[in-house]
Amino acid sequence: MTSEVTTKQAGAEPEPPPQQRKQRREFVNALFRFQSLFGLVAVFVVAVVFSPRHNGELLFLNADNLANVVRAMSEIGIMAVGMTFVILVGGIDLSVGAVLGLAAVGSAVLMVNDDFGVVATVVIVLAIGLFFGFLQGMASALFGIQAFIVTLAGMQIARGLARIWSGGQGVAIAYGDGPGEAPVTFSLLGERTFNGIVPIPALIFAVVAVVAIVFLRTSAFARHVYAIGGNEKAARLSGVPVTRVKVIVFCICGFLAALAGIVHAGQLNQGSPNDGFGYELDAIAAVVIGGTSLMGGRGSVVGTVAGALLLGVLNNFLGLHGVDPNVQLLVKGLVIVVAAGLQRLRPTV
Amino acid sequence: MARRRAVAAVLTAATALSLSVSCGTTSENSGQGGGGAQESECGGPDGKYTIGMSQANVAEPYRQRMDDDIKAAAESVPQFSVEFADAQQDNAKQVSDVENFLTKQIDLLIISPNEATPLTAVVAKAYNKGIPVIVLDRKVDGDAYTTWIGADNVEIGRTAGEYVATTLLPNGGKIGEIRGLAGSTPAKERGDGFREGIEGKDIEIVQSVDGDWLREKGQSQADALFKAHPDIQVLYAHNDPMAEGAYLAAKAAGIEKNLKFIGIDGLPIPSGGLKAVEQGRLSATLIYPTGGAEAVDTAKKLLVDCQDVPKEQTLETELITIDNAATVYNEANS
Repeated sequence: MTSEVTTKQAGAEPEPPPQQRKQRREFVNALFRFQSLFGLVAVFVVAVVFSPRHNGELLFLNADNLANVVRAMSEIGIMAVGMTFVILVGGIDLSVGAVLGLAAVGSAVLMVNDDFGVVATVVIVLAIGLFFGFLQGMASALFGIQAFIVTLAGMQIARGLARIWSGGQGVAIAYGDGPGEAPVTFSLLGERTFNGIVPIPALIFAVVAVVAIVFLRTSAFARHVYAIGGNEKAARLSGVPVTRVKVIVFCICGFLAALAGIVHAGQLNQGSPNDGFGYELDAIAAVVIGGTSLMGGRGSVVGTVAGALLLGVLNNFLGLHGVDPNVQLLVKGLVIVVAAGLQRLRPTV
Repeated sequence: MARRRAVAAVLTAATALSLSVSCGTTSENSGQGGGGAQESECGGPDGKYTIGMSQANVAEPYRQRMDDDIKAAAESVPQFSVEFADAQQDNAKQVSDVENFLTKQIDLLIISPNEATPLTAVVAKAYNKGIPVIVLDRKVDGDAYTTWIGADNVEIGRTAGEYVATTLLPNGGKIGEIRGLAGSTPAKERGDGFREGIEGKDIEIVQSVDGDWLREKGQSQADALFKAHPDIQVLYAHNDPMAEGAYLAAKAAGIEKNLKFIGIDGLPIPSGGLKAVEQGRLSATLIYPTGGAEAVDTAKKLLVDCQDVPKEQTLETELITIDNAATVYNEANS
């Protein structure tokens, strides 16, 4: 990646005068801050240059293929945005994959078995996600149990609930007006718009990302989030309502995981209690690649979005080349390690 | 592949379900595909063809063997090259795998779906683009595919039941059953078929337990089963690994000589059921064919020979006992 090269050179050169040093430091800092954007560009360029061709056409750049990339990435992306908030306060949420499964099951069961409409289903499922996040936030913030432990338990609980609710197997969603059929509107989640190119889940991801970016840039709440992640004690002493902010952050994460679960059910026409297995790791990976520090206090949703897209392009590139799936895991692991390693090199301001 | 004999494809149900059925029920075909399925053109023997094989999960030995069978069979067709994808048991990943194959403009898709409903839309998308689709083992919903190849689990269960009724317990007796994953179709069908096979005989299934297809679960469940019912004479497991697990439990209790074990799958691999029968741990197993060789054969008919294929191709099972275990194993790996 580009930023790595730059730092090494910077370290090797003799010390420049203070004025220049400050400028350089700001420049280097910006590189690190948006490492995933540069990484995304780099991976994208590699994917284009080494794209498989068919009759001279670069298959990677095919509009359908690019749409596939964002579609496949949208669920992880939505979860990763929520995860960014949690990690910014120095927490972690391991339950999002299981909450996605629970929400997918909930969507299917409510519409198919209980004949709920789309709006009612979406509202109930999002409320479940929100409430689940609320409970985890309370357990973590109020009772001071580590987020890792709380959400590890939450992961088991959400998975168990999903299995109980679904009767242990996937609930297929058929569309129609009759009993036992889901409203056709819900099938929109599996569709593509704008001439059949842009997948609806990608649009939802985009809206979530934009709202989160604006929110994190402008609100007082966001300043509290960064303050807690930076130094919780100092934040508390300066009057930041730490417990409340932390609980809200977990609520946001649960809410977005449930939203991803609804999208998941709509894309696959099924609510399966085992779905979303391991997705929490992909979401955390997107955040880490995005340059958000796992210690909290530093990071951005822009970085996370780029990190998620980077993973998506990488998956697609490796898939198009038919790279052995086990090797794919190795490559993804290495990318995460490199991204995290780069953050260690980031100068503290 | 010399498994022809074992799995001689019985072309049932050549029901003239015409291949050109539109897929009105699925939601995702707003792309280029649009209307009904297009007749796929046949390139004949002069073409070169790329086949995409989308596997649900190669961590299961049965599915790895399916891939291996396809690879081996395709080597004898010079026009074919096969690319493999592994969805690692994730429906969403398998959808992406198929999408990648479509991007690469493969000439034919073979898919063994992780689950039916989530894969239906993307399979229909491929089919509607005019790409022939061969569905292996598990089905998809609707009929937007070219042909399905698989075995009949009810028939397999029935054969197992008849073997128990006529050979192992001709004078009646007691049976313990270790079932596959609760709620899965094969578990239901293998159980139902077995009951049909022993119907009318003086044979009683004293207890059924869930083994989730897993060897270690089969072992622990059998352990409890043997303690609760020491009078069981035959143990029927819905697959070979669970039967082997049960054998281990019996051996630990020192009662393995008093019992007969039956499994299903009969994979021709060193850790598979054929070897277990040959080495005397299982009394019998029933072959659950992978259909890999038949899939390549069907692909050849569609792309090279320009022939029609039936919509459903049911594979026959074969009863394996000590008499034929070694022969079948060697034939499958020759």
